[in-house]
Amino acid sequence: MSFKDILSSGKFVVTAEVGPPKGTDIKEMIHHIELLKGKVDALNVTDNQSAVMRICSMAVCKICLEHGVEPILQMTCRDRNRIGLQSDLLGASILNIKNVLCMTGDHVLAGDHKQAKPVYDVESVQLLGVVNSLNNGKDMAGNDLKGSTDFFQGAVVTPEANPLEPQLIKFEKKVRAGARFFQTQAIYDINKFKDFMKYAKKFPVKILAGIVVLKSAGMANFINNNVPGIRVPQELIDELKAAGKEKALDTGLNIAARHIKQLKEENICDGVHIMAIGMEDKVPTIMERAGLL
Amino acid sequence: MIITKKRDFQELMENIKNYKSFFLIGCSECASLCGTGNQEAIDALTEALKAEGKEVEGGFVAKTGCQVLGTKTELKPFKEALDKTECILVMSCGAGTQAAVEIFEDKPVYATNDSLFLGNMTRFQFFDERCSLCGKCILDKTGGICPITACPKGILNGPCGGCKDGKCEVSPDIKCAWVRIYERMKKLDRLQDLCDNALEAKDWSSSIKPRTLVTRPDKKEEKKK
Repeated sequence: MSFKDILSSGKFVVTAEVGPPKGTDIKEMIHHIELLKGKVDALNVTDNQSAVMRICSMAVCKICLEHGVEPILQMTCRDRNRIGLQSDLLGASILNIKNVLCMTGDHVLAGDHKQAKPVYDVESVQLLGVVNSLNNGKDMAGNDLKGSTDFFQGAVVTPEANPLEPQLIKFEKKVRAGARFFQTQAIYDINKFKDFMKYAKKFPVKILAGIVVLKSAGMANFINNNVPGIRVPQELIDELKAAGKEKALDTGLNIAARHIKQLKEENICDGVHIMAIGMEDKVPTIMERAGLL
Repeated sequence: MIITKKRDFQELMENIKNYKSFFLIGCSECASLCGTGNQEAIDALTEALKAEGKEVEGGFVAKTGCQVLGTKTELKPFKEALDKTECILVMSCGAGTQAAVEIFEDKPVYATNDSLFLGNMTRFQFFDERCSLCGKCILDKTGGICPITACPKGILNGPCGGCKDGKCEVSPDIKCAWVRIYERMKKLDRLQDLCDNALEAKDWSSSIKPRTLVTRPDKKEEKKK
């Protein structure tokens, strides 16, 4: 069953992600893809994440398909203008890549090519509209396509953004622009997330809660101080601290599993998106502890 | 106004190392307000050049350095000094420099400033970029705050995921343009406009370079009327 069909079947969906490496040695990446095969419902392939230059998302999506894993093509607007984006979307379509996640993309100043010219010819809301248009047989300029695309398009949302209301206005624009599913920024406060879901359930879209594994209390503090739109509550930081250095990661895995279990059992959202960030090999452990395997 | 910044002096000296005598052209408009092309700046550069063993034949503050004909006329009284000059130094913006290039067909012209942006003066010699001269204004749709300029990504439909406590991911010194727009629209009781109207991708054909514009009425057409 395709990711789209699984989502509409009502099953609690699990996606994870793979970050393409910088360079052509893909042995480790393939190992991660193989490890997650048959366990997750789809695998996001990041697009030069954090504006650091790496293998392109589309090539790795194709490799996912070859290894029997359904990919979600992450597409940012940072590096390509509207011609490049549409051309790549058509290319992805003929490679049988079905899912695309439309994002604006981290600024080049976050990455390793700070002298690059940032593009942003379109942004996430507009890119969703572009995908919709290609699905309906027209390009952005209104020209007819010889064969349309059939993408299942998604977007991202930050439920803990501060201030929140401008973010929600944008969320609604994304829904209207054709987003069918959302993967959220990492969430750690399930009660707050329930409030967001109470709001989001008014819209005909599927929501996958973002799960990022905490490796230590230090990482949690770093996130709180530096990463936009994520808030780790103090009680989780205390829990990690109490676990001590050796057990911190294991506790982090437990927290992730506990959250996933609660989200599923209380039917809070449609699934989870696990961002392991370099710990892809731990995803099966989390899923096991969450009772998903 | 066009915001300019004095170039590094050593870089300037490297550019002009082959020349001995100079004439300095400032500008009474933007470059004076920036302190890069006023009389004080001319005096200071004159001193610095002399200290390096160069000769300064003269200099003056043009009224509007980017206006080619006006500046040419203003330069007439300086003919003698200009004849002795090997090299022209322009102390305004890139437009002023290129006006001088047009005026001085046979002399090398060098810019002493870098031209940065179209800016507002918020306090004396504090400058902010607020307009990108994109050619098709969208301020009417964004509460009078330009996201193309105020947002490092120039995005048109709300804050990106990099907004942290109302600040931009690019720098905590930048307030998120879309949070500012949201707050202003809220004050004006226009939030619904913001929610209802997703902005389409911008038509960049209005800013293809080089742009020209003629606003003078066509005299022949006028006569016909």
